[in-house]
Amino acid sequence: MRQRRAGDLKVVIAALAVAVAALVSVMTFADRLQRALKFQGSELLAADLVVRSSYPAKSEWTAEISRLGLQSAQTVSFRSVVMHGEDSQLAEVKAVEQGYPLRGRLRVAADLNREDASATGIPPMGTVWVDGQLIALLNTTVGARVELGTQQFVIDKVITLEPDRGGAVFAIAPRLMLNIADLPSTELIQPGSLASYRLLIAGDVSVINTFREWMRKRAEVGVVLQDASNAQPRFRTALHKGEQFLGLATLVSMLLAGVAISRAARNYAQRHLDTVALMRCVGATQRNILEVFMTQFLVLGTAGSIIGCAVGYATQQVFVYLLPGLVAGDLPWPSLMPAVVGLSAGVVTLVGFAAPIILRLREVPPLRVLRRELGALPNHITAVYVTSMLTLAALVMWVGRDLVLASYVLGGSLMTIILLAALSYLLIQLVSRMRCGVGVTWRFGIAALARRAGSSTGQIVALGIGVMAILLLTLVRGDLLQAWRTQLPPETPNHFLINIQPDQLTEIERFFREQQWPKPHLRPIVRARLIAINGKSVQPQDFQDAFAQRVIQRAANLSWMESLQSDNKLVAGNWWRTQERASPLVSVEQQYAEALELKLGDRLKYRIADQEITVTISNLRAVAWDSFRPNFFLLVPPALLNGYPASYITSLYVPRSRAHQLSALIKQFPNVTNIDVDALLQQVRRLIDRVNSVLETIFLFTVLAGIVVLYAAIQTTQGERRQEIAILRTLGATRRQLSIGMVSEFVVMGILAGGVGAVAAMITGYAISEYLLSIPYRLHIGTWLVGVGAAVTIVTAAGILGTYRLWRTPPWHILR
Amino acid sequence: MTPDAIVQAEALTKQVPSPEGVLTILDGVSMSVRRGETLAVVGVSGSGKSTLLGLLAGLDVPTAGRVILHGTDLSQVNEDERARVRAGRVGFVFQNFQLLPSLTAIENVMLPLELTGRPRAEKEARSGLTRVGLADRTAHYPSQLSGGEQQRVAIARAFATNPQILFADEPTGNLDEKTGGRIIDLLFDLNRERDTTLILVTHDREIGIRCDRRLELSAGRLLGALN
Ligand SMILES: Nc1ncnc2c1ncn2[C@@H]1O[C@H](COP(=O)(O)OP(=O)(O)O)[C@@H](O)[C@H]1O
Ligand SMILES: [Mg+2]
Repeated sequence: MRQRRAGDLKVVIAALAVAVAALVSVMTFADRLQRALKFQGSELLAADLVVRSSYPAKSEWTAEISRLGLQSAQTVSFRSVVMHGEDSQLAEVKAVEQGYPLRGRLRVAADLNREDASATGIPPMGTVWVDGQLIALLNTTVGARVELGTQQFVIDKVITLEPDRGGAVFAIAPRLMLNIADLPSTELIQPGSLASYRLLIAGDVSVINTFREWMRKRAEVGVVLQDASNAQPRFRTALHKGEQFLGLATLVSMLLAGVAISRAARNYAQRHLDTVALMRCVGATQRNILEVFMTQFLVLGTAGSIIGCAVGYATQQVFVYLLPGLVAGDLPWPSLMPAVVGLSAGVVTLVGFAAPIILRLREVPPLRVLRRELGALPNHITAVYVTSMLTLAALVMWVGRDLVLASYVLGGSLMTIILLAALSYLLIQLVSRMRCGVGVTWRFGIAALARRAGSSTGQIVALGIGVMAILLLTLVRGDLLQAWRTQLPPETPNHFLINIQPDQLTEIERFFREQQWPKPHLRPIVRARLIAINGKSVQPQDFQDAFAQRVIQRAANLSWMESLQSDNKLVAGNWWRTQERASPLVSVEQQYAEALELKLGDRLKYRIADQEITVTISNLRAVAWDSFRPNFFLLVPPALLNGYPASYITSLYVPRSRAHQLSALIKQFPNVTNIDVDALLQQVRRLIDRVNSVLETIFLFTVLAGIVVLYAAIQTTQGERRQEIAILRTLGATRRQLSIGMVSEFVVMGILAGGVGAVAAMITGYAISEYLLSIPYRLHIGTWLVGVGAAVTIVTAAGILGTYRLWRTPPWHILR
Repeated sequence: MTPDAIVQAEALTKQVPSPEGVLTILDGVSMSVRRGETLAVVGVSGSGKSTLLGLLAGLDVPTAGRVILHGTDLSQVNEDERARVRAGRVGFVFQNFQLLPSLTAIENVMLPLELTGRPRAEKEARSGLTRVGLADRTAHYPSQLSGGEQQRVAIARAFATNPQILFADEPTGNLDEKTGGRIIDLLFDLNRERDTTLILVTHDREIGIRCDRRLELSAGRLLGALN
């Protein structure tokens, strides 16, 4: 069939291409990461089975392992400060035993920028292997000596790949690896220090399973067994969450594509009513008609989806570039699966949103040739709503793989659409009241909208959804990301000073004044151990939660404060009053309270040195840990712990260029330890920026889909508009009058759609920030204005682009 | 140029491209219409009548030749200025009414008044509609009116600004004989009352006879004045 105007079909192709590209890019990227995890299963553990514990492996375990003839190797990991001359740096230290890694390969190089090779063995005693980042941060070289705890080590090699480390993105500090035999001499491992012990085990599957059973029966406290199936659980969870979130963003593109397709199909059917009547007249069967039109739609839909797949594959490669180091080593090649899913999703979307309309063409009676009012498309085709909702549900289930989420998305979309429709209808009624009061040119705009309130509502809803997507994904998202990023402002503290003694406080403050640094917030710490809750003594094994077990095993830091710090928020209870300065009260951080199942009024008994003290929980706090200021799980009133042994901690911002000032401080106060978290901060900032870029790319697709919807909606009225322009021209309307007339219609439509879209975007934005990201949402009046302004501009620009050609066309060409 | 000619055509030729090569719809048509005259353009269907009318009103541009309307050579000016020449001074009645579907009857009639900035547009439009017998249908939309009623609205709109010249292209073509007869009567009555120049395209010789002068077109050529 030849086409006179193929605008609707272009909309179909563009809509599907955009939506499928979004879907395929996210799916391919996630699929490659997941396969990387699967392939590397054992390598990611450096073993077949890992026994993780907060204390060294018990001798019974190792005895059983050698009895069964399995291989094993121990590792101990913790964070500590590494010193080189005056430079210091927080490092992730890992002590390894001969045989490590049991699976996979550790790769090392003789120096920075040298070719690497598989390591033979582990660092010899007296040496350490470090990653390149640590060498750079410490301003040192291979062969130099560094200090770890009380011991000196020679940097021997540069680590380039560590199988069980996970992606570099997730490392908090650079790596330092040493021989486990050197560990005692550093004196870093003391009772209560935060070390994580791993016993790596490798061997025959059945023997491994025997050992696993044996371990399980012992039911040891604080022990976790890991194998390839649950390696890197945190990353897996993060990946799953990320995939779901991006999946939802692609679903919005799909929904928008569906709306555009629906409009385009309607237009298309409308234009072909006469053709179909004629075809029926000359003997075409209903089947013939269906074949002709459905085939055409399916061919186009497939073409659009194929374009989308190609764009999607290219885009996921951009993601790989934007987010390197998510997994160690190279990613496997993309598979064909996402393309297959993308193509099917494209065709399903097309069929779901367009088929009921196209099917209507079958019912056009041949008599329409004589009586044109026969067989006209009804305003609302119920089947369209039903099939599109079913399609959306199927897509949500498919992409989101989550029934609850699917029902939320569906319910949310339905509610939004109903709300938008009601609002649009009301607004149209309101505006049409005003048409008498305005001049001739403005009247067209309002009149055109009001004449068929039903179809105008449909158009405004479609536009509104487009506007909402654009607003949500640019402005609101901008707000959210801004909120996230400003949690790490440029002068975020990048150094922590710990172990400051009470008699040094005044001197330290003087030193700060001399350097013209802001006055330090010095926070006291008293080490205390929790021994009873409400009079009942507690043991780590009383709790399931790993965090709770750790909290009870180790000494806690008690600090005190007169008033609440700005990065803390009271969530329950009351802050102490002045007369309670010495009362036995405690303020507990929310998560800490949750883990230990604590509530207001509970009594906590602590041991401090050789004394005991019981405090009552008077309030619970939420803490913004990422403020990079010293914060504490437990706070007590300021005068309660007078006389107990305390040390002080503070954080400060020192630009890299003035790091020497810190060296002077350490020289003057040798017992004070300086922890440099600059690298960590940079890492976090970089990660935020990169995640941001990936989100932006995905949202770009959604915005494009929104624009396609706008285009489709404007296209719908194009035929009527041509007619109007020709008549007005005949009556002598000048170009100025024509343009004001057209612009007025677009402006009115833009204002309505923009207003409606802005309301929807704000509600959704509120829901997302409140329930999904837990960031407080600020209502911006600017969002409204920008939203309405943008909608008016885009709608008007698109409308004028679509009609300005007509202003120069002799009207006869249209009227004939 | 004839001194009292309101519209004049010189050697008008209109050609359009077609699959079988260039199609000549009008071939060297020259004619002139005096102020106040009524002229019928007759001829079989497809002879080029509507095309000629469109060219005379400046709704389309000729391939060769020129049209002078109200003293302006339409081929010398652009689309916008051609519209200006029509504004308020030219009225139209079409075979298929061509009312704006989004406006009510009275709003349709007000349109040419407002476009030319006439005061009291609503009052004039109301009296226009009363004149064509539609005083009680002013707030109706075109889709709510019958064909004959729609054509009455179109006639009220055409006469709203008291134009000097009125073009009518088979105004009864879409109506039954009885309704068509009433429409033609209305058209001639108003024409007489307002002393308007009328150029009426029709294939109905009966109607043609009611005009001062008739021109017959055949295959794009003028057969000469008929009497
Ligand atoms: N733009 C055009 N393109 C192709 N053919 C045209 C065009 N305009 C008119 N024609 C043809 O020119 C001939 C004369 O048309 P028209 O002036 O409408 O005749 P009438 O009004 O006398 O019936 C017809 O055969 C018509 O199909
Ligand atoms: Mg004709």
